[in-house]
Amino acid sequence: MNVREALKSGSSQKVLAWDLPTRIFKWGLVLLVADAWISNKFGGSMPAWHKWNGYAILVLIVFRLLWGFVGGSTSRFAAFAASPSRALVYARDIFIAGRARRFLGHNPAGAYMIFALLIAVALQAIAGLYSADEDRLIIEGPLAKTISDSDVDRMSSFHASWFNVILVLAAIHIAVNLLYGFIKRDPVIQAMISGSKPRANYEDQQEARPGAPLAALACGLAAIVVVFGGIFALGGNPLR
Amino acid sequence: MKLKLLAGATLLVAASAVYAQNDPIAARRAILKGFGDATKAPAAMLKGEEKFDLAKVQTALKTYSDGAKKLPALFPDNSKTGGDTAALPKIWEDKTRFESLYAKLGQDAAANMTAIVDEASFKREFPKQLGDCKACHDDYRAKKQ
Repeated sequence: MNVREALKSGSSQKVLAWDLPTRIFKWGLVLLVADAWISNKFGGSMPAWHKWNGYAILVLIVFRLLWGFVGGSTSRFAAFAASPSRALVYARDIFIAGRARRFLGHNPAGAYMIFALLIAVALQAIAGLYSADEDRLIIEGPLAKTISDSDVDRMSSFHASWFNVILVLAAIHIAVNLLYGFIKRDPVIQAMISGSKPRANYEDQQEARPGAPLAALACGLAAIVVVFGGIFALGGNPLR
Repeated sequence: MKLKLLAGATLLVAASAVYAQNDPIAARRAILKGFGDATKAPAAMLKGEEKFDLAKVQTALKTYSDGAKKLPALFPDNSKTGGDTAALPKIWEDKTRFESLYAKLGQDAAANMTAIVDEASFKREFPKQLGDCKACHDDYRAKKQ
């Protein structure tokens, strides 16, 4: 039974698609990326707001990298990383041939968007550590003093413009997911909220196995240590 | 001798007034550069890199307060380009908002001259002052390339 039939028959049989830590990461990152913009726009008098937002983003990203190895079965990189040719064949099947191909987790093309978003946001956050306002008076990343002034200018200018790349990626990401929901009737957005999808004949996995809560806790703590320890090790003080 | 000095000083003041009128770009750049220089010490104090010094903070606030009164007049329509200006054309598109930001800067500085009396009040109030700088720089100052 495919997804469409499952929905039509009103089958209430649901299977786990995304474990809780993965969902907390996902929506946490959405909120923090939004808050990154808000804190820059409205937090001129509160530089700590924007800086701590950036640290939190880095912690989430590092958590996700670790979770990609020890997390739930659909969250592991090995489960969704696909070769470019697989992704292209998938995209052709879906968009040109109009074939229905169902994945419980990330599909082969979507996997590329996930990596692109993770890399784009990580680059933005790392650049932020080395950025400062032009006069180095209003806001300064904790590592800005470890590089030359001209490099700080370069990093800051990257940090200011790269956000647009994130916006474009996010816009495509949202649009495609809405298309999946409304045209393919594949409730991908609901799945990322509730964690479950209708039982169906998926190509990748029939049901996700969640990551261990203790492993999630360990990944979260490790991420905090990596981010804050890393900034200290590189000669900055994120707490100041 | 004294008279000569006085005359010289008067001439200098008059000359700089003429200078400001003839070259508003240089005049506003000098004031804004003064803002930056005055802010160095308080910014370092906020980061804990320099010891708190109320006198330097008050000097900075006085600099903002004085400059904020002069700056709105230093962006006449014929000063949109030239003189290595970093002023963006947007200034002249929303002049009212632009000038209101200087008004806010001046008001905040004046208020802080009485509100900031010790390190605690400095740490609480001064960042708002820096927020006033950013509010204007974000929209009206060209970014370094």
